[in-house]
Amino acid sequence: MSGVESTRDTRKGEDGPSTSLGRPKADDFGRWVSKIAVAQICESVGYQGFKGSALEALADISIRYLCDLGKNASFHANLAGRTECNLFDITRAIEDLGDSHGFPGASEIGNCLVGSGIVKEIVQFVDTKEEIPFAQPVPKFPIVRNGKLIPSFEHMNEAPPGKHIPSWLPAFPDPHTYNHTPIWNERASDPCADKIEQARQQRKAERALLRLQQRLVRNGSTGTSASLVLDATEAGSNPFLAAPLQQGEKEVSEVVLPAKLSNEVSKGDHISLLDAFAPAIDAMKTGPSDRLDGEKTFLPEKRPSVQFKFKTGKKILGESLDLSLQRKGERSSTFFLRDDERDDKKKRAEFILRQTTEYPMELNQS
Amino acid sequence: MNHNQQSNDGKHDDDSALSDFLASLMDYTPTIPDELVEHYLAKSGFQCPDVRLIRLVAVATQKFVADVASDSLQHCKARQAAVVKDKRDKQQKDKRLILTMDDLSKSLREYGVNVKQQEYFADSPSTGMDPASRDE
Repeated sequence: MSGVESTRDTRKGEDGPSTSLGRPKADDFGRWVSKIAVAQICESVGYQGFKGSALEALADISIRYLCDLGKNASFHANLAGRTECNLFDITRAIEDLGDSHGFPGASEIGNCLVGSGIVKEIVQFVDTKEEIPFAQPVPKFPIVRNGKLIPSFEHMNEAPPGKHIPSWLPAFPDPHTYNHTPIWNERASDPCADKIEQARQQRKAERALLRLQQRLVRNGSTGTSASLVLDATEAGSNPFLAAPLQQGEKEVSEVVLPAKLSNEVSKGDHISLLDAFAPAIDAMKTGPSDRLDGEKTFLPEKRPSVQFKFKTGKKILGESLDLSLQRKGERSSTFFLRDDERDDKKKRAEFILRQTTEYPMELNQS
Repeated sequence: MNHNQQSNDGKHDDDSALSDFLASLMDYTPTIPDELVEHYLAKSGFQCPDVRLIRLVAVATQKFVADVASDSLQHCKARQAAVVKDKRDKQQKDKRLILTMDDLSKSLREYGVNVKQQEYFADSPSTGMDPASRDE
């Protein structure tokens, strides 16, 4: 058994890379089985190893021999007026294929096939050779799948459209598969009306947002809790939820610029914040005309400019909305609504400026 | 008349021998499996419900392959004997008998099958050159 395995290994090792290429073909299974069978036969003859290409060639030739035998046998059967082959057809086929090599009695004519020399050789072969069954069980192949048939007229309980059509024939396809019916477009689209509708809805949304912000500012100015949802009791227990201190309520110390920052400021690269955003500040002062409650904006004048590092994230927008609305008379509420009209740059500048004014207050509060 | 009787007896013997052989085929399992043989015979138009005839075809193919293999084995052994005569040190290496394309093509030529392989493939500029000059 070990001898069989060693030959199998050499064969498989050489066949490995070659079989990984190419798509599987329909005949591959048969070829593989025949390769194993031929290898077994060669091993019984006395070989200990095979070259991959030699084994493939021999297997191919044996398959061809088999096919030629069958073709020849069926030819002889047809010649005799039969469809099924019998022993004599096979004998004649083997003789035809063995003519090139020669067998005893090949040159005789008119002899009975029963006493054919080649059959005797085969008998001799069977008697002398020991039986080597195939190594593994082979399933019946090829597997035939049941085809999906079109149901007949009888099956569909339909009457064939013509008397000349028998009912056991496959039914005709449904008319909707080949008839062209008109298509009705149920949704009437009007691009002008759609645009007008879209603009109207946009304006409606803007107005609603404006009214909401006005209400929030009014609530904040009357001195109630910062958040509309929170209770006063909750605000008392949690210092973080308390209303922010207004300007002048608490004594705050002046912010002393550390030497490092002041040095940076004096360098050419960094300009003071107030200088950088001076135009933005001017724009803000003069900008919004429809300010509510007559609140005036105020900016710290005596505070020195502090250099902060700012992240360019847009999330500052959302945070600053709440903080600014909580403060009394800090910013105009229409500021956000005018985003469409103002420059992006101006908007960024204004936000950064607001951050600088708010941060010192927060630092002092904590 | 005697001649006829003898031929009749001969035929009778042949008949019985053949029928005995076919019966013994059922016990003998050929190396080539029945399913494979049936598949290829069906492909080539052979129609036969008898299992004994299928086995006969399988045995005939097995005999053919065994003949080819034994012929190529003889070629291989002859080649090894020739080599051993020249260099006796390589006896151990050459004990392994391997089926090669050369031996196979030689033995198949007697059966009328012409199997030829490329001797070399000219896929690089240095193919066929001397090993000494190849290192340049």
